[in-house]
Amino acid sequence: MKKLYSSALVRGLIWQFIGWLVGALFVTLIRLLMGLKTLDTFFFTEPAWVFGGFVGVLSFFAGSGVLHDWFLWAKGEEAPEHHEDPAGWEKYINVSLDHKVIGIQYTLTSLFLLVVGGSFALIFRTELAQPGLQFLTLQWYNTLMSLHGIVMIIGILVGVAGVMNYLVPLLIGAQDMAFPRLNAFSYWIAVPGVVLLLSSLALGGFDTGWTGYPPLSARAPVGMQMFFMGVFTSGWSSVLGGLNLIATTLRMRAKGMTAFRMPILVWAAIATSLITLTATQLIGLSFQLVMFQRLLGMGFFDPAKGGDPILFQHMFWFYSHPAVYVFVLPGLGVISELIPVFVRKPLYGYRWIAMSSLGIALVGFLVWAHHMFASGMNQYLQVPFMYSTLLVAVPTGVKFFSWVATLWKGKIETPTAMLFVIGGIVVFLLGGLSGPPNATVATDLHLTDTYFIVGHFHDTIFGGYVFPFFAAIYYWFPKATGRRMNETLGKIHFWLMTPAFLTLTLLMMRIGMLGMRRRIADYDPALGFTAYHVVMTISGFLIALSILIFLINIFRSMKQGEKAEGNLWNSRSPEWQVPSPMPVQNYVHPLEVVGEPYDYGLLGSEYTRFIEDK
Amino acid sequence: MEHNNIADVLRQGIVVFIFLAVLTALEFFVAVAIGAVPLLIVMAVVKVGLVLYYYMHIYRLNEDSGDDHHSLIYKTATNRLGLWLFLLSDSFVFGGLLVARFYLLSLTRPPLNQTLGLIVTSVLLLSSFFMNRAEASMEHGDRKGFVIGIVATLVLGLGFVAGVLGVEWPSAIAEGVTPSVNAAGAIFFMMTGMHALHVVTGLIFLSIVLRNGSRGVYSAEKHWGVEAAAVYWHFVDVVWIFFYPALYLIGRLI
Repeated sequence: MKKLYSSALVRGLIWQFIGWLVGALFVTLIRLLMGLKTLDTFFFTEPAWVFGGFVGVLSFFAGSGVLHDWFLWAKGEEAPEHHEDPAGWEKYINVSLDHKVIGIQYTLTSLFLLVVGGSFALIFRTELAQPGLQFLTLQWYNTLMSLHGIVMIIGILVGVAGVMNYLVPLLIGAQDMAFPRLNAFSYWIAVPGVVLLLSSLALGGFDTGWTGYPPLSARAPVGMQMFFMGVFTSGWSSVLGGLNLIATTLRMRAKGMTAFRMPILVWAAIATSLITLTATQLIGLSFQLVMFQRLLGMGFFDPAKGGDPILFQHMFWFYSHPAVYVFVLPGLGVISELIPVFVRKPLYGYRWIAMSSLGIALVGFLVWAHHMFASGMNQYLQVPFMYSTLLVAVPTGVKFFSWVATLWKGKIETPTAMLFVIGGIVVFLLGGLSGPPNATVATDLHLTDTYFIVGHFHDTIFGGYVFPFFAAIYYWFPKATGRRMNETLGKIHFWLMTPAFLTLTLLMMRIGMLGMRRRIADYDPALGFTAYHVVMTISGFLIALSILIFLINIFRSMKQGEKAEGNLWNSRSPEWQVPSPMPVQNYVHPLEVVGEPYDYGLLGSEYTRFIEDK
Repeated sequence: MEHNNIADVLRQGIVVFIFLAVLTALEFFVAVAIGAVPLLIVMAVVKVGLVLYYYMHIYRLNEDSGDDHHSLIYKTATNRLGLWLFLLSDSFVFGGLLVARFYLLSLTRPPLNQTLGLIVTSVLLLSSFFMNRAEASMEHGDRKGFVIGIVATLVLGLGFVAGVLGVEWPSAIAEGVTPSVNAAGAIFFMMTGMHALHVVTGLIFLSIVLRNGSRGVYSAEKHWGVEAAAVYWHFVDVVWIFFYPALYLIGRLI
């Protein structure tokens, strides 16, 4: 217990709470001296909550000690190159510079957030099973619905960071990331961000949906500010993590690993990081502008002062559309990574797949306004954005073609990891095919803000992120822990989740086409959707049950799982050529790349070799 | 390191500064007398190009740093890449502000004192000149020249912050440009405020570098801290090279 209280996590959280209080009291005192209102609905006034939240984040850094080495540098002292981590579980709640520990910290945080966000969904899904309001008020429904969206999004961003942090240095044969301290900071800044975001529950919530459009967000309760601050703070995790991944892949690759001998997942990581590095700043800026509009009356989005709410949507979607490629590109990378292993055939069209990740990321910068066809933006923008959006289907099609061609006439093995890969492909295909109707202006005007959209993006995110994320966990869990996960529980997880999920999203699309609006707490029983909603709610609970089985599997396998010996999956990738769990310094002998990464089944082909005598 | 001797490097810094100063003066003249927007944009781009190449040494990103991942030169090159990636990221914040400014105000501008704008711009430009001298001195092991250069940069940087926050903001408010009066006022305070925040962080870096430098932490071979502070400081100048015409010169008065 003492270890828990003295951990960076707990110290940071205590300091954050104290900093928050001190900051809020400080502003309240100043307001008192200036003769302004000092107390409000939620005790403190809005400026006090916001300033306190800001001080709280800084205090978290001080309390957790994540800035320690940088202070040494600023003082002109040398910081040690490596820090020794404690042996047991304590290293996961303390500041570690090891990319493997940080990757697991990210992944555990992601699982926590996905469970929290999923629970919010279960609550309002239950409410939606019947027309009328049963047990939620409108404000609570809106808050839970909005938080479900944003908590899931941050959970996914954190999970993506986890997969890439753990795997990219291993796949390129590096000892660690290019900037280990920045890597630790990128993780730890997400923690106070999440605390801020969830604190909105206690401060009146917010009713805008996860998009936070003004003018509604300029009027919502104080919880809105906590939403903006929480996302802004966690956003830095994305920005700095992306920076680190780009520098790592450009500078830390093993000898002989030329660009076209990099694993596909590394290509995906670069494409993703280009987006998080740059576009994230625009959502951060748009949120700051609304915060200042609320705090100081600055009229950026206030038409009465010459502002324009459409500007917010442009800035918001400039990030938030490419963000979905941040969610799916690493997942698609995992799919491309695992298929050749379980089919025992070379990956079809390696260069095309590598380039398609970059292609999706770059085209993704040019499509944002397809979210705004019904917003009243300039009409001449509609057709160019429609065509640029449809263009995304081309590089995505390249990926599908390659997967199918790799599977073609292969000897397919189906352990749980591969099941999730195949499930991911099917679900992502549904998500992809339901995309063009939304991208086409004529049909989108009918489908905007209906459950069709909800079904569409749940399919893309589950197929592109959630299924591959589970595949990655089933596949690399033995590498991280030295023990295998239970295959029977894994298969139950898959066969429970997949049909339930398909039922849920296909029904969403169906009632969406028939006119069910999204983001509403109540609907007219005369629409005839009640039976559909009941089935969807049951499906939602079945998915939750399957996730519960998955979590049980994880905790059971960590302690009693079968020991993982040697190259479990018979993979060519370098991380499987060394013992599990991965040694602290990754590769004792440096790597050399001597062949193509995915030449499975070709006699005598070799990918990496260890340079024994240094 | 650089093969040319220090006198050549310092002379190059002076020539570049003269070009920048002349362009800034021309810019002011073009804006007041002709008001040709494309010409103003071209001049800003040329100025930024000069700063990126001669003061920020962007070409160093391309330098060969060998194969040994543990050598100082390799690590410094990695740090340099990281810093430039951060600047790329940061430029999206400022780019976003510029987009917001032209989206909301198009070719109009708030009633600001153009002479005052020119003065603070000159102060910042001059600080970049001294920053370049400080870095060049350290590269050649001249610690005295380094300290003089950094102190001059710090003083001018403080002068810029005092000029914007202490003189420009009150005078704008006196002209009726307040944060809450309209979108133009909001944009003005957001852009100058965000830029001032970066200037202040730059001043903090400079003070750290000055303290360490005068205590002998850096040498001609090993002075990444100095280079990083210099590149960051010049970046803040680059941002202002775009912000100054966008706020003070381009468009007609509203």
